[in-house]
Amino acid sequence: MGEKKRILIVEDASYMRDMLVEMLEQEEGSYEVVGFAVNGKEAVEKYKELKPDIVTMDLVMEVMDGIQAIREIKKYDPNALIIAISALGTPEQKKAALDAGAEEYLWKPFTIKNLFDALEKLLRKREE
Amino acid sequence: MLKELNYKFLILLSTVLACTILAFFVGFIKNETIVYTHFFYVPILLAGVWYRKKAVYIALFLCLVYILVTLFSPQGELYVYVFERSAIFVAVAYVIGLVSEKRAKGEEKLKETKEYLDNIITSSADAIVVVDMEGIVRSWNKAAEDYMGYSAEEVIGTSNRKFFADPGEAEKIMRIVQREGELKNYRTTLLNKDKNPVHVSMSAALLKDKYGVPVGTVRVSRDITKEVELEEKIKEERDNLNQILESMDDGVYIVSKDYKVEFMNKVLIDALGYHVGDICYKAFHNRDEPCPLCKNTEVMKGKTVRWEWYSRRNDRTYDLFEAPLRNIDGTISKLTIFRDISDRKRMEDDLRDAEERYRIIFEHALTALCVIEHGEVVSLANKEFETLSGYSREEIKGKKWIDFIAARDRDRVQNYCAERRKGEAPACCEFKFVSSNGEIKHVNAWIEPIPGADSCIASLLDITELKRKEDELRETCEKLAELDKMKRDFLNVAYHEMRSPLAPIVGYASMLERCELPDKGKRYLHNIEHSARELEKLINRMLELARIDGKKIELSLERVYISKVVAEVAKDLEPEAKEKKQVISMAVQEVEIQADRQKIVAIFSNLISNAIKYTPEGGKIDIMVEDRGEDIRACVADTGIGIPKEHLPKIFERFYMVDTSLTRKSGSLGLGLSIVKEYVKLHGGIVWATSEPEKGSKFFFIMPKRQK
Repeated sequence: MGEKKRILIVEDASYMRDMLVEMLEQEEGSYEVVGFAVNGKEAVEKYKELKPDIVTMDLVMEVMDGIQAIREIKKYDPNALIIAISALGTPEQKKAALDAGAEEYLWKPFTIKNLFDALEKLLRKREE
Repeated sequence: MLKELNYKFLILLSTVLACTILAFFVGFIKNETIVYTHFFYVPILLAGVWYRKKAVYIALFLCLVYILVTLFSPQGELYVYVFERSAIFVAVAYVIGLVSEKRAKGEEKLKETKEYLDNIITSSADAIVVVDMEGIVRSWNKAAEDYMGYSAEEVIGTSNRKFFADPGEAEKIMRIVQREGELKNYRTTLLNKDKNPVHVSMSAALLKDKYGVPVGTVRVSRDITKEVELEEKIKEERDNLNQILESMDDGVYIVSKDYKVEFMNKVLIDALGYHVGDICYKAFHNRDEPCPLCKNTEVMKGKTVRWEWYSRRNDRTYDLFEAPLRNIDGTISKLTIFRDISDRKRMEDDLRDAEERYRIIFEHALTALCVIEHGEVVSLANKEFETLSGYSREEIKGKKWIDFIAARDRDRVQNYCAERRKGEAPACCEFKFVSSNGEIKHVNAWIEPIPGADSCIASLLDITELKRKEDELRETCEKLAELDKMKRDFLNVAYHEMRSPLAPIVGYASMLERCELPDKGKRYLHNIEHSARELEKLINRMLELARIDGKKIELSLERVYISKVVAEVAKDLEPEAKEKKQVISMAVQEVEIQADRQKIVAIFSNLISNAIKYTPEGGKIDIMVEDRGEDIRACVADTGIGIPKEHLPKIFERFYMVDTSLTRKSGSLGLGLSIVKEYVKLHGGIVWATSEPEKGSKFFFIMPKRQK
């Protein structure tokens, strides 16, 4: 894998942030959590500040929702890699997230395997 | 004449002289008193005959001679008888003169008359010909010469046969005259010298001698060639007229002044029978005298009349047109045209009835109706319109249509009416109506142009109350929609909020799996994961139902391979079946359908997991899918507890649970089958179930392979 992938976690629920950190720590050699954001607005700011390789983006948040944040980040950096994460899982929401520029859509609840499958898929797609 | 006169005069003179000499001789020479005066009568008579009253002078002269002779003769003595005789002489002379004068006057008259008659005959414009009993021409006047071209010298003494176009006529005329004594206005055709026909009207009389024996005939003929030609022309025209009348669609007859039918055309003969030659009032009306309605007298005066007549005989009504028609002979006949208007009449009656019916309908209609002339003035209104407007009918009539429309709506309604009259607007229009007390009413108006007139009928329905209720209803609906939206939003949020805590449960459990755990711990973990999955499913179903409720679900159609889907679902559920030691067998035909893959998965997933749930350990589950050409037929059969008969019709209802006790064996909210039903229905299919309690249930569905 070489270099560790720097990850920005955008999530309003602290227990979800904690869990994502725990999950990513399981593959410490590959991923490093570089920062958190609790809403879309903060996510955009943090993205500009940290320039992470990957963003996990919760979609239902206050202040600015995930879809809007994905759009802003993509506008800032069209090459940004974003995994959208949501408990809603409706086809409409999934489509909106992918249209906004997210590469993957992860439906809560998900297992650790689901998460790494999505990340790998994301990176493979980028390498291609 | 002079000679004759002289001769008479000389004789008379000599007799007078003789008498005078005789008187002197007897009186003076003989001296005798013999009576000689008897000789005096000779000159007196002669003079009386020849010179009439002048005989008196002769008589006076002779009396003078007699008296003088008697006075101066020697023997003579004047006695009374001398004067007596003298007076007799004068009286005789006077009487003879008078008589002969009378006779002479008669002869003169006779002569004059004869000359006059001759003049007439000669100068007469009519040909006057005398023919004797043998048919020989005896007299031939000037006019006859002109007519016939023959001179009198040429024809007198010859037979009259050659003058007739038909020589037989000569004898015929003779016979008639002999039999009747006369002939009047007999029409015949003569031939003139150039053999051209001459049409004449001939009158003839028998000539008799003084003993009454017929000696010939006198014939007076008038040239009527011109009249005959004219008559022929008139006849021709009359024939033409009759032909026209014959070919008319209307009945026609011609009746003479004395009510005799002279002509009937075919149409009328067909309707009333053939009656030419009959008396009209007898033939057509069985009357003994002219009908009271008859217009004959008026028409004979030259008037043209038109009237309507109902014939009881054939139950028809006629429009009669009667006009005078001048005949050849100058008389007038009545020409009558019978136009059969029974059908029109009946139609008129029907129309009147229909009008009356429609008037009643109009009057008693439960909508307000009015007729608008030229889009401006109300000309007619019904009872309901009175109620709506609050005006009486008299007040409404002539009122401007626009005054019934609220100011705000006027332009719109006027535009609408104009367009409607052109047929360019829908029949219905809603506006605000102003009644007499200024009250505003909502009306729904239908404006319909009246064909053939610049007017239209407006039908107004008071929808004020309806409108109010509609508003209420709309408000209620809006509230309900709002509530529904709130419900859906709530469900969405609830769904999201319920799934969110599941994330760490599933997530941490999946991480825990990677850790070193004692067997007990692994079993616990497994139970946690199982429950989490069940909970997730329940939450998902609730959301699905909420969505089905909310609005129509769009199918995202794709090619779905049924065998693949069934295998996938079966594989997913296999662990559960294995746990209950159940056997799942499949007989699924290779078939590809057009459907929403996710929904097909949900259908099979629900049916199969139900089967697993309600089938005891060691049971059997059969899945069959059959390709039937246009559609597929699927069946999921189990050997489970079955469904009591009374529950069968309801199992597809939402939240329906056969066992409602909280202690029932298998957990379910009764949502699965209702989702199956909705999804099959969305694909245009049907679903049903059969069951035998304690033996098992079978769930079937049929679904078309292609969506419309």
